[in-house]
Amino acid sequence: MSPPISGPGSHNRWPSDLPRIRFETSDREIEFEDGQDVNLLRLSIRHDCGLPWKCASGLCGTDRILIVEGAEHLSEPRRRERERLGELLDDGVRLACQTYASGSVTVVWDPTQRGIDEDSAAGKRLKAQWLAPEPDGEESR
Amino acid sequence: MTELLSSDEFRAALEDAMTGREAKDASFSRAWAEGRLERKHFARWAENHYHYVGPFADYLAYIYANTPDSATDAKDFLLQNMWEEEISDVRHTDLLIQFAEVCGTTREAVEDPSNITAVTRGLQSWCYAVAMREHFVVATAALVVGLESQVPSIYRKQLPPLVDPDVYGFTEEETEFFDLHITSDEIHGERGYQIVLKYADTPELQQRCIDITRDGADMRFAYTKALYDTYVAPDLGAWESQPVAV
Repeated sequence: MSPPISGPGSHNRWPSDLPRIRFETSDREIEFEDGQDVNLLRLSIRHDCGLPWKCASGLCGTDRILIVEGAEHLSEPRRRERERLGELLDDGVRLACQTYASGSVTVVWDPTQRGIDEDSAAGKRLKAQWLAPEPDGEESR
Repeated sequence: MTELLSSDEFRAALEDAMTGREAKDASFSRAWAEGRLERKHFARWAENHYHYVGPFADYLAYIYANTPDSATDAKDFLLQNMWEEEISDVRHTDLLIQFAEVCGTTREAVEDPSNITAVTRGLQSWCYAVAMREHFVVATAALVVGLESQVPSIYRKQLPPLVDPDVYGFTEEETEFFDLHITSDEIHGERGYQIVLKYADTPELQQRCIDITRDGADMRFAYTKALYDTYVAPDLGAWESQPVAV
């Protein structure tokens, strides 16, 4: 069964005890079944909640969100998220594609945001990979 | 089916098509999640899995070529999926081989197609055939909804015992293949659903998508079950004879 969806300005239409993700920047709220955990970017894509994103691997950082409420309901940061966000994690920023929620959470973001700059650990690793000279006599795969 | 299903009805029908035949419930997956396997079994899994997922970008490339220019979002999704598999970071098959090597096998053994079961060969062949011959939305239903969208549910059961020092005891780095796909295939699966919901725009196409999603789930279940029957049953006995996990 699809979870109830609320549109702009209507997030109190389903007063229930179900956990919900509030996408505050787009004024959308999505409920999900108790006992489940949900990937935040997948939920946003499925219900058209407007979170910007580009890759699905925790590389680009386009889908970063600031947790306003409910951080205790989120999964622990994965390695790629730790690499990509660094100190931003301590400021309450997460990557939606890498994060699961098992309870109610409220998130905000900058609707114009793009990928994180290349000075992060992940960016440096990618740059090193792409700019590394090929060993003599070995073609690139 | 004579009438077009609504988006919600169609999605529910696609999900129902996989119910009861999901690979997470196959014997090899259950034995894995219950901590009953040994590293040599994982090595055999990796040798087989490479020949199923290794050509995934090839499968998608055939679908890409069959997708009309007017379906730009579908083409972009396929291209991005290929890019992520191959060159966005560490090549995904290299992560699989990294896991295989710590399980005691070698890159050469993993890449050798003679080390796979006939069922794995059948799954790979089915993927190629569907990608090359089917309408792009039917092929997307098969490979992305029927196969790829199952990945998070499988690996979310299999990764915790892999890194549990009291069960299999692998490190976070050794098991990156699994962690990466738990999250990336959430997104790929969801985008796959959206493309199928959007472009299967006749009752006939919807029915073909439902049928091939069921076929895809059956193929992945058979592949996973065959791994147990071929490599684990000689050590542990038939799955049906195994004690129920508590």
